[in-house]
Amino acid sequence: MDFETSVNRAIYQSFVHRGAAPTVDEVAARLEVDRGAVAEAYRSLASQRVLVLQDDGESIRMALPFSGIPTQHQVEVEGRHYFANCAWDALGIPAALHQTGVVTSRCEQSREPLRLEVGLDGPEPSPWLFHCLVPAAKWWDDVVFT
Amino acid sequence: MLFFRSEDAVRQWCSENGQPMRPVVGMEQLWSLAAAWYSNRLASDYRRPKPAEVVEMLKRLGFVEDFWDPTSESFS
Repeated sequence: MDFETSVNRAIYQSFVHRGAAPTVDEVAARLEVDRGAVAEAYRSLASQRVLVLQDDGESIRMALPFSGIPTQHQVEVEGRHYFANCAWDALGIPAALHQTGVVTSRCEQSREPLRLEVGLDGPEPSPWLFHCLVPAAKWWDDVVFT
Repeated sequence: MLFFRSEDAVRQWCSENGQPMRPVVGMEQLWSLAAAWYSNRLASDYRRPKPAEVVEMLKRLGFVEDFWDPTSESFS
């Protein structure tokens, strides 16, 4: 396994097991390598659109479908709590984990709360809707806005 | 990429925010998208899908409008 793949795996394992993004120092300690090499791997993964970093250049904003910062889209799986980047990713977290979960979010217009149980084969019947403002061809122009 | 309680809520939100209304997607179809997109995301052999693979996947799942085509030039 190459070094970037090892860093990527460590990042995702942190999200899966802690529900949070690891710092560069945490990944460096886990892999027993220099932090500078990990920071460089973060930047490389970001350039490949595997990660989205925050303005400081080394804190993780997104490792799809997980969010490195709190959002309105939350998912509970097996007692662990995750933040998702968007409505799509909120369903993407139980899909990625292959486990049942509960999505909580809100209607963006009315602020009515959403609670959606998600089974292994999909969500419970629900009249709620998903709306994406940005065309697919533009998703990565500003992925945080998307 | 947001949740809404109804199509009226989408329409009202778009109107109030000066945004165009796009195709709305039900939860079942959103799940099909999430499952196809993310079910192998944590696999050790995961790789990002190529653009042509994304196009094929979206069409297979019923996302057939130009809006969902990542290679479309209609919105440039």
